[in-house]
Amino acid sequence: MSDSHGSKFEYHPGLPLGLGKTFVWLFLSTEIMFFAGLIGTYIVLRFGSIAWPSPHDVHLAEHWGAINTAVLIASSLTVVLSLEAAKRNRTAEAKGWMLITFICGCVFMGVKGYEYSAKFEHGLYPQYPHGRIYEKADLLYSAAVRKRLNELKVDLGKSLASHSEAQEEINKSKEGSEKKTDLTKKQQQQLAKLKVAIGEDESRLAVVDEIQKKYLDPAELMVRDHPGDPQGRILLTQLAHAIYPPADLHAQPRMPEAQEQLEKDPAYEPGPLPGNVQVVPQKSPFRLVSHDDAAGDDHHASVHEGSEAAAHAGHAHGLNDEHPWLKLPMVIPGGNMWASTYFLLTGFHAIHVIVGLIAFFILMLYVLDKKRAGVIENVGLYWHFVDIVWIFLFPMLYLF
Amino acid sequence: MSEHEASHEQGASHEHDDVHNNYRLFLTVSVLLVIATAASYWTFTDLWPFGESKEIKRLWMMAVSCFKASLVIIFFMHLKWEANWKWILTVPASFMCVLLTLALVPDVGMRVFNGFSGYSRERLMHSAELPHDKAGQHHADVKHADAKHAKDGKDDQSQEVH
Repeated sequence: MSDSHGSKFEYHPGLPLGLGKTFVWLFLSTEIMFFAGLIGTYIVLRFGSIAWPSPHDVHLAEHWGAINTAVLIASSLTVVLSLEAAKRNRTAEAKGWMLITFICGCVFMGVKGYEYSAKFEHGLYPQYPHGRIYEKADLLYSAAVRKRLNELKVDLGKSLASHSEAQEEINKSKEGSEKKTDLTKKQQQQLAKLKVAIGEDESRLAVVDEIQKKYLDPAELMVRDHPGDPQGRILLTQLAHAIYPPADLHAQPRMPEAQEQLEKDPAYEPGPLPGNVQVVPQKSPFRLVSHDDAAGDDHHASVHEGSEAAAHAGHAHGLNDEHPWLKLPMVIPGGNMWASTYFLLTGFHAIHVIVGLIAFFILMLYVLDKKRAGVIENVGLYWHFVDIVWIFLFPMLYLF
Repeated sequence: MSEHEASHEQGASHEHDDVHNNYRLFLTVSVLLVIATAASYWTFTDLWPFGESKEIKRLWMMAVSCFKASLVIIFFMHLKWEANWKWILTVPASFMCVLLTLALVPDVGMRVFNGFSGYSRERLMHSAELPHDKAGQHHADVKHADAKHAKDGKDDQSQEVH
């Protein structure tokens, strides 16, 4: 084809915008579908699930989500203002707005990190080995609790033995010396520390034993000896609720209608309890976690202190909160699917935020004048998209 | 003052007004966005006057989210001032969003309906439980799955013998 042909035709040069902007928009349209896939999967899985935990059951605090939304909105505004300033060659102003945008992004990530750490602390991971979420209070769950209690017993036993040994050694050196009050100041301090450590080990072992005797043994014995009796299921649920009470049940009345009806039923008779164990005299799984009951229960009185406030403001306190070292398996119906979707959605969003932050950081190394306005606009478009994704994620994850 | 200088000054003040107007517009949009966020949060508070219906709350929240996303797209992403190419890129992508979600409904979203046909026996045994009113169905399904698996097992054995 000769050059002379070219002059006869006048084609429009594609889209009426720069190459950079065209490709950012093309990239964003693929991103729309990427997040649509993720959010769509979340919606479908959530509404297709038998059960789904309430936000408070999984340590989600709505106000943090709302604050993060406001932070992202502020950052969206500042990036636009940075672009406007750059267009008018006000470089210092543009850089200032860019810096504020960068700081807002960092604040968002900080809040997200804080939220993640709260979940990890409570064993809310998507899967083993860290995840401690069980779907229902059955024998599989009680076996997991027993396994953990046995691990604790072994660990605490070892710790107690080593502390006692160390204490004995110091005492021996005391007996070996001519003057019995010859212990150095350092040794005395060590002895005091060891005494505290031994006391702590012993009290922890007592807690482990109490959980086993009070909740675990009765439940498993009941299921073993009376497999057809609903009491077994009730005791298993009591075990689960003592460890990790569902937040929503705190608001429930003391005696649910279902339990009243069950007791009115002349055919209903709770099965005999195994003779050699002490059982919490409660029939309803709801009662264990209700505030009124806790007041009459010495062991749980401290556990439930302030829990009424907690029930309204967030998660309800159970044994895992009272003794964080326990790290017992928890029953959160639908919790595994929740964890998978929550971490996937927020994780991918966080990755996008990090990419945006890197872009802002690089931009801040340059003079943000009229020449850079195009680049600022492109990075801004990407940042606004990240903001839009969060606009949808916030209500879906925190308020639904 | 020469004519040129006068027009230059006029241009500068015009630009100043433009900047001022733009700033005011963007600030208004972000204030609206914050108010809209509070409107979503409203459903979570005791001040929400439209009852405890989750469906209404969710509908409201999604409407508010769509409104917020529109504000961001129209003003912050400048689509208000762009030419018609914007439709080419945004409309097909939006269609794909809806289609992707709808495509997941039959095999993923409906797997717990139709007698839990999408669940394996192991999953049924250890899955969370249905609300109380449907619990009978759940147990019936576990039994059904048990019977089915027992039958399958027999079939397998008979095949092995042959």
